[in-house]
Amino acid sequence: MAQKERLSAYDQSMYDLMNRSEGAALHSTAARRRAVVGVHVALTAGFVGAWLGTVVGELSWAGWVMLGLLLPWCVATGILNSATRGLLELRPRVLDERQRAERDRARATAHRIMSWVLLGAVVVTGVVGFAGLTAKALVFQVAVCALVLHWLLPLWVAALAARDEPDADE
Amino acid sequence: MSEQVHNRLAMVRAERKVSRQRLAEAVGVHYQTIGYIERGQYNPSLDLALKVAAFFGLPVEALFSLEPFQPLTDQVYGHGKDS
Repeated sequence: MAQKERLSAYDQSMYDLMNRSEGAALHSTAARRRAVVGVHVALTAGFVGAWLGTVVGELSWAGWVMLGLLLPWCVATGILNSATRGLLELRPRVLDERQRAERDRARATAHRIMSWVLLGAVVVTGVVGFAGLTAKALVFQVAVCALVLHWLLPLWVAALAARDEPDADE
Repeated sequence: MSEQVHNRLAMVRAERKVSRQRLAEAVGVHYQTIGYIERGQYNPSLDLALKVAAFFGLPVEALFSLEPFQPLTDQVYGHGKDS
């Protein structure tokens, strides 16, 4: 941890939380981290779909789906944060030089992917518009999906890029 | 641009019986960072390399090098000597 003496109580508690070792076995290998990211992507897609179902589709049962997905989503998010040691949750002053470099790399990769996704969305909506179809009804849904992707993509990228724990010493 | 920096950190740390956690706390980094440096997966900044060298009381070139280190036995007893 960098600059330990200057950390606030909040920073210290967040650092301790992100470095807890109870769930280490869940993200100890690259295959497990990929699996957790896959589950997290699926849960996020389900949650966003259910939320849009309640807000736009006015489907009352979708609210129960949201509630059902909330706890597993929180657990999966916790595992990803543990795998990255809070790379995207902790403040920069809590991270050391290697962690700050890794965070910047994850954000840069996520930004690049997001740029391609947005380009794809522009092309698709352009083609749909030229074809004479109207996609105005989907603007809100697409915007929500883009927002969620923009928010969570760095976490997924960082978790996929995380390396195995160094062998135990002593 | 990524130049491989070779190091003897694991060997010196084992020799001095210093844990990764203790070294990490002394130089102000995460213990994983020490492990990644030892595995050659992360090249430390000059600042960190100097801090690590100062912790062990060694010149920085004793711990880090752009060239692979000679095995210690070769350095002490000479390379290719008849036994």
